[in-house]
Amino acid sequence: MRVAIAEDSVLLREGLARLLGEEGFEVVAQCETGEELLREVRGCRPDVVIVDIRLPPTHNDEGMRAALEIRAHHPSVGVLVLSQYVELGLAMQLLTDSAEGVGYLLKDRISHVKEFAGAVRRVAAGGSALDPIIVSTLLSRRRSDDPLGRLTRREREVLELMAAGSSNQGIADKLVITLRAVEKYVSSIFGKLGLPSSGSESRRVLAVLMFLRS
Amino acid sequence: MAGSVVRRSAETRIPSAPNPVALWGLALAGVGAAGVSFALALTNDHVREPGLQATLVVWMTLPYIFGGLIAWWRRPESGFGLLMIAAGFTIFLSSLGWATAAIPHTIGQAFDLLPAALFIHLSIAYPSGRLDRSFERALVVAAYTTAFGLELIGMLLGGFGPDNLLGVADEPGAAEFLLRFQLVALSAFALAAIGILAIRRRAEGRPLRRSRSLLIDSFALGLVMIALLFMTAAFDAGGFETIRRLTFLVLGLAPVAFLSGLLDARLARSSVGELLVKLRADPAPTELRNALARALRDPSLSLAYWLPQFGCYADLDGRPMQLSVQNGKRATTVINREGAQVAALLHDSSLSDEPELLQSVTAVAGIALENGRLHAELRARLDELQGSRVRVIEAEQKERQRLERNLHDGAQQRLIALSLELGVLEERPEADPYVRARLDQARQQIAVSLEELRDVAHGIHPAVVSGHGLAVALEQLTATAAVPVRLTVSLESRLPERLEVAAYYVVSESLANVGKHAQASSASVDVQRANGQVFVEIRDDGVGGADTERGSGLRGLADRIEALGGQLRVWTPLGGGTRVRAEVPCV
Repeated sequence: MRVAIAEDSVLLREGLARLLGEEGFEVVAQCETGEELLREVRGCRPDVVIVDIRLPPTHNDEGMRAALEIRAHHPSVGVLVLSQYVELGLAMQLLTDSAEGVGYLLKDRISHVKEFAGAVRRVAAGGSALDPIIVSTLLSRRRSDDPLGRLTRREREVLELMAAGSSNQGIADKLVITLRAVEKYVSSIFGKLGLPSSGSESRRVLAVLMFLRS
Repeated sequence: MAGSVVRRSAETRIPSAPNPVALWGLALAGVGAAGVSFALALTNDHVREPGLQATLVVWMTLPYIFGGLIAWWRRPESGFGLLMIAAGFTIFLSSLGWATAAIPHTIGQAFDLLPAALFIHLSIAYPSGRLDRSFERALVVAAYTTAFGLELIGMLLGGFGPDNLLGVADEPGAAEFLLRFQLVALSAFALAAIGILAIRRRAEGRPLRRSRSLLIDSFALGLVMIALLFMTAAFDAGGFETIRRLTFLVLGLAPVAFLSGLLDARLARSSVGELLVKLRADPAPTELRNALARALRDPSLSLAYWLPQFGCYADLDGRPMQLSVQNGKRATTVINREGAQVAALLHDSSLSDEPELLQSVTAVAGIALENGRLHAELRARLDELQGSRVRVIEAEQKERQRLERNLHDGAQQRLIALSLELGVLEERPEADPYVRARLDQARQQIAVSLEELRDVAHGIHPAVVSGHGLAVALEQLTATAAVPVRLTVSLESRLPERLEVAAYYVVSESLANVGKHAQASSASVDVQRANGQVFVEIRDDGVGGADTERGSGLRGLADRIEALGGQLRVWTPLGGGTRVRAEVPCV
């Protein structure tokens, strides 16, 4: 699996490259700026890019802009955005059209090597990976007449993992339950929230997020 | 009320008033000259209707001489008065042509055409008496040369009959031809002078005072008559005598118009009394300009106050003003009070013809002007204070941004890299369970530190605001609020950063207050931009009665908003919820 990295801190960039190398990825490009990343994406067609949200020269929104540009013009390339802070508004910008092949994680997550590598793989394969903070922000959001209140504790756990982008198998592994059980929970959740349960996993993510956001 | 007026003029030296002996002497000489002309016209055998002719020549001579004397006396710095006096005496000299004795006749012949050149000079030198442009000077020089220089040459050539004492050659044909040329050329010069007057009228508009416009119109009419008269003479067309009388009549009008203008100015001074009454009522400083404009009868008047601390002139609102340079249309009068500059009037240049009016108006307005000056100074100081407040806030903002950047690029990145390193070690197959557990613990410690550091950095400066804008930043803020919040952001584009940051703090602080004190069940946040303002409003349905002074952080927010020229208002009736509204100008 081919990965391109855009991160201006050398320490972090090289650490990331090494980590990904050890996890069996092929790091095809290491960039410092968004411009450079866009060039590399056109040149060496990676499966997934990992991009820091704050990149030179201004460290404002260059990384985000590069991420949105790649999502718009190279839909086959997965985009995983890393940030020091996690903001719901930014997640929503990334997910404007779809949750396919996109991820938004707090930078700290990379130290959970296995989970991080899993997230990169998922995004590369067209899935999604959203930081648990986003999901918990949405879930903690108070609302009047809260249909979330009707969920059981277990269903809530499944919902959180689902919203973060986990597959049914991933949820089953994490909660140590059977795949059948996960499927049962999922359809029960969709029933209680009044959402149509069809579609791919990333569509499912978007549906759940939009529901939580509304 | 001691007021004084200093007129700014191009010359550094302001000439003193003319010597009264010179004035009276010239007046007497003028009367004498007019008498001589009158007598010559009556006694000359060739003059038809001598009574009419004699009256016309006096009608021309005296008004120029007396008008010129009054102008010289009132405005010694302007050459216009002397020029008028010269014109009057030149007309007298030209009338010597009627003398039968050869010497005065010769002199009269030499000066025969000169009054026309002087009239051209006068009409384009009005009102300053100066010729400011080189083509105007060229025109006047050409007119003098043609009227006087060529006349002498014609006389040397032996033209103008037997009484001409200057004739050295006997070429009356050449002299005649030369005379025709002079007449045609002077007609052309008169027409050129009309052109100059017309161009000025186009550029400057109608003069402020009717008398001034009347004077210029009579100059133009006089120039037309001169051109017509000389063309008639050059080509021996009929009706010469009638045209000549008409021309004399018209040329005498100009000084009469000039004198009527002076009378007009004298009458205008009754408006000073009205001004005095108005000022007794102690009008607001904003009214002062209008009162002065009415008293001076100059709607274009503007007032500039001198602010010594700032070393500049300013309008009533304390905004710096540039006193425009003296030009044809505008003039500046500086007003001093007790030896110090107070203000300046920027007015129509024709007011300089009425120094007494200006002087009395400014003297009467002395105290009111001083009040206006203090008002302007106060406004300027407030503006300065406002400016320094903005600078303080902006400097703080920059510093906070820098600190956040340093934390982000420094400590935070290092800790993440370290945590990554530990994570990689933890995954090594050779690590035993004990080592793994310790590494995991260390990693968790780092995670806690990062969490704390993140909170600190975000508190110092919400980077998401500068990076991605208010709308994006508010989403997280409202999502994590203690009560459900309905967020509406209607902004078409990004706002200036300091405004976005201020709005962010208003929302963040208000929502924190909602969580802490309001006991609300829901809240709303509205941000919109309309009519050059940005409105940020936070409402809740809680208990109201919030303490707006202590502990709520509202005071700090108000400072921030006011520094941006805006206003923060809080409505918090007991039991009626709380509404915080910030309005900030944003162009």
